[in-house]
Amino acid sequence: MALKMETRNQMPKRIIEDKVLRFSAGERLSHWVHAISFFVLLFTGLGVLSTSFQPAMAIFGGIQVAQLIHRIAAVFFVVVVGLMFFVGNPRYHWRWLKFVFSFKKSDWQHVCAFPKEFFGGHGNYPEQEKYNGGEKINSLITIFGTVFITLSGVVMWFSSSFPPALVRWAYPVHDLSMFIMTAAAIGHIYLGLLHPDSRAAMSGMINGYVSTKFARAHHREWYERLKKEQSMNEQKNV
Amino acid sequence: MARKTVLIDTSLCTGCKACSVACKAWNELPAEKTQLLTSYQTQSAFTTKTWTYMTFVEKYEDQKMNWLMRKAQCFHCADPACMKACSSNAITKTESGYVVIDQEKCIGCGYCVENCPFGVPKVDLIKKKSYKCTGCIDRVENNLLPACVHTCQPGALSFGERDAMLAQAKKRLVEVQKTHPKAQLYGENEMGGMTYLYLLLDSPEIYDLPVKPTVPLSLTLWKDVIRPVGTVAVGGAAAAVVLGVFANLFRGNYGNSDNKEGGRD
Repeated sequence: MALKMETRNQMPKRIIEDKVLRFSAGERLSHWVHAISFFVLLFTGLGVLSTSFQPAMAIFGGIQVAQLIHRIAAVFFVVVVGLMFFVGNPRYHWRWLKFVFSFKKSDWQHVCAFPKEFFGGHGNYPEQEKYNGGEKINSLITIFGTVFITLSGVVMWFSSSFPPALVRWAYPVHDLSMFIMTAAAIGHIYLGLLHPDSRAAMSGMINGYVSTKFARAHHREWYERLKKEQSMNEQKNV
Repeated sequence: MARKTVLIDTSLCTGCKACSVACKAWNELPAEKTQLLTSYQTQSAFTTKTWTYMTFVEKYEDQKMNWLMRKAQCFHCADPACMKACSSNAITKTESGYVVIDQEKCIGCGYCVENCPFGVPKVDLIKKKSYKCTGCIDRVENNLLPACVHTCQPGALSFGERDAMLAQAKKRLVEVQKTHPKAQLYGENEMGGMTYLYLLLDSPEIYDLPVKPTVPLSLTLWKDVIRPVGTVAVGGAAAAVVLGVFANLFRGNYGNSDNKEGGRD
């Protein structure tokens, strides 16, 4: 029993041969539920954004159906990802928050070098932890965007339960959150799918693993820490 | 058609409610079950089927009651917040000064309901359409008086060209102020000048009307700042991505084997 407790408390083995475990199954589930519901919400919301999108709402079976799908997707968007912070193995979700809310000088230096990297150049920045400065900013946009779009969405959905002055402010807040999150998502997708240097990170969100080569090149501080922790654990087990 | 105006001279109103009956008759709106709320008032707000109703205020001053009556309906603002808020271009303003909802285009989003400073439009949750006073534009455009004006017995409602109505209102105001010193016009300049112009016997807040009605700041910020800036931001992100792909192609980064593993130690 004692032995079992010990094994459970152990850090899982993160580096396996030439691969490093970057995202747990729970984190990947949260990411993809968020991503899919975000786009369903975006497309079903376009009908009230501009009349030029209204004919396209026929895809969903009309604008009234689109509004219904919007509300159903919103529940998934909020409840599923929200629950992942409390059920299963939520430790990784909270660690992500801890990571992205500690914005250091090295993160800022990465952000400054980021435009150069974005357009295929090579910027100079210090070694990065699990999340680099740009990833932290993307995470922060996601966190604050989700909170604000959710709160304003609740006010809009149940508008008759709130004072008109609050409902009036919910509209610009909902729109602003959407615009910022959409702009960030466009850049995020480019970096994950089309950017020659960073798209190697994609496998981390699919099977959880990135190559050690990628980890060393992009997140050396993280990689070295994992290596040290792993060797310490191995020594303890021997 | 030039700018029209309906003058509502509350000093002549007797509170008979014939205007609300005429409105229902002409617009084929069914009656709703009501009850006495305060004084002689039976309705507290507009509904999808009640586009005009009477408000009654009993104000006591020096042991004397002032019975303040007002016919409430859409003001038909020259600068309508509902039109600005509409998601579907369903609300338009006519040259004659009427603000009308096209129920064909309306999707019932309710943005007009929340943004009207007077709480005028109401959405039918089943039909998913917004409704409010049309100003009887169908009558006006055929040289008929609006149904409420047509029926008004004491002559509290009059209809005509804006200049003529404003002149009439100002003339009446001088007269009325002799007995009601706080009497004032409401709607001459409010919301850009409203098609339904009031001669009130007291200050607007006594009638539960906003003293300085405005297009909500949140609405201006939403439609005039966040929408255009946000569109540019999303377009900018997309343009940056296209540029990024071409920059990487140009630099030959896609063929670089180092990149396949995410390398470059």
